[in-house]
Amino acid sequence: MSETQAGSSIQRRSASSRSSTARKPKPNQLPFAILTLIALILAGLFLQSQGNNMGWYLVTGLIFGYILQRSRFCFTASMRDPFLTGSTILTRAVLAAFAMTTIAFAAIKYGYFKNGLPVPGMNYVVPISLATVIGAFMFGVGMVIAGGCGSGTMMRVGEGFYMQMLSLAFFVIGNFWGAHDFGWWKENVINHGKAIFLPDVFGWFGAVVIQLVVIWLIYIAAEKFHEAKAAAGSSAH
Amino acid sequence: MSSFNDSMKKISSNPVYVKWFKDAWPYITGAVLLSLFQIVTLTTTGNPWGMTGPLATWGAWVYELFGGSVDKWYFFASDNMQTTLKNGFFADGGSVRNLGIVLGAFIATLFASQFKIKKIKSMKQVIAAVLGGLLMGYGSRIAYGCNIGALYSGIASLSVSGWVFGIFLFAGAVVGSKLLVKFFM
Amino acid sequence: MKEVMLDCLGEACPIPIVKSQNKMKELAVGDLLIVQIDHSCAMKNVPDWARGEGYNVEVEEVGDGEWEVIIEKTK
Repeated sequence: MSETQAGSSIQRRSASSRSSTARKPKPNQLPFAILTLIALILAGLFLQSQGNNMGWYLVTGLIFGYILQRSRFCFTASMRDPFLTGSTILTRAVLAAFAMTTIAFAAIKYGYFKNGLPVPGMNYVVPISLATVIGAFMFGVGMVIAGGCGSGTMMRVGEGFYMQMLSLAFFVIGNFWGAHDFGWWKENVINHGKAIFLPDVFGWFGAVVIQLVVIWLIYIAAEKFHEAKAAAGSSAH
Repeated sequence: MSSFNDSMKKISSNPVYVKWFKDAWPYITGAVLLSLFQIVTLTTTGNPWGMTGPLATWGAWVYELFGGSVDKWYFFASDNMQTTLKNGFFADGGSVRNLGIVLGAFIATLFASQFKIKKIKSMKQVIAAVLGGLLMGYGSRIAYGCNIGALYSGIASLSVSGWVFGIFLFAGAVVGSKLLVKFFM
Repeated sequence: MKEVMLDCLGEACPIPIVKSQNKMKELAVGDLLIVQIDHSCAMKNVPDWARGEGYNVEVEEVGDGEWEVIIEKTK
């Protein structure tokens, strides 16, 4: 069913008089969309011709932006809504993404490992320290207040939000500030931490199974939580 | 020109077009497609999707524009970082990808004919954006990433750091929600 | 039977949904709540929430990137 289509039982007394006559018809944006798409394809071809793989980065970025916008995928809401509105719909979608990507990444990495090649993407297995704890907490507070996480802020800049353009500017400033202090954090905090790659502990198969079971259990808990909150909400009426 | 506009209007009000380009997709569609392109990203670039890595570099470029130098900073001391700083925006994959995310979202709203500049409404929003931005920026630097690099790609890479990040991200989000309801609404 | 307008133009998530939830509590059965939204995520999560509650919901696109979510309090 189309969300923008009318045809239900709601009768408004004010009808759509306010909404349809008070506004000037705006130009259709489709021609601009097509022109922008052509420009981006040319830019992508040009970047790729430079020979340093930049075309791929641009294209994957464009696709990520497109997916995030079309599906309204929001990591902030997945963390915030359980507490604020009792909804875990997005939490479960994020968990589903974690599970699918886990399987895919493990398969790819195992392929390299089995052939005795260096495993890709190990830069993302980082030390766990107090800096992880403090940083994640700061990030959690910040993303709820600013109305968008990392990807959400980027996406909303593209959607035309001045607020997120401002928050992106300060995101950069904050990140730069963090880079300034990074030597201290590294020496005093991060170096005391240790990176843990699950396959090193449980083996490849065990790691994937354990992680998927954990994700599944959180998913069930999230579903139960949602139902309980919804039931409590409607009995209060 | 008017017949051109009419045909454009006709296309964008077609039910099939509305379904695929205007209406929001289900969240699970997003989850499946993001996973798919995480695979593409890992296999074509050798690393999972990350977002905040280039932001400090952007800061450094602006700083250098005003005559500052970051060569002595621990974070920028490695040869890798020095090369990235020297070669500029369009030679840095992460920077180009972030630009792509912005433009991808932009083009998605254009195809939906839903692009609109949203102005800042109040001083509260300014404070929220500044404070939130700073917290996210600093936090993601010391925690090695944001919800994408540290959380999503971290967990998917079977790293325990992703789970630790997630737990405290959730704690932060709860505190953030309380602050939001109390001060920014 | 009254109609209540809720202006959430320029508000980012989660403010539209929290305001809608609070406003809904004040309304009587049969009343309409019309939430004005220009945030593409709120345009999805506000109707999702209201449908989940079992209310009648309609979304009208009143301009480029602007919506009115009409919610009828049915219970």
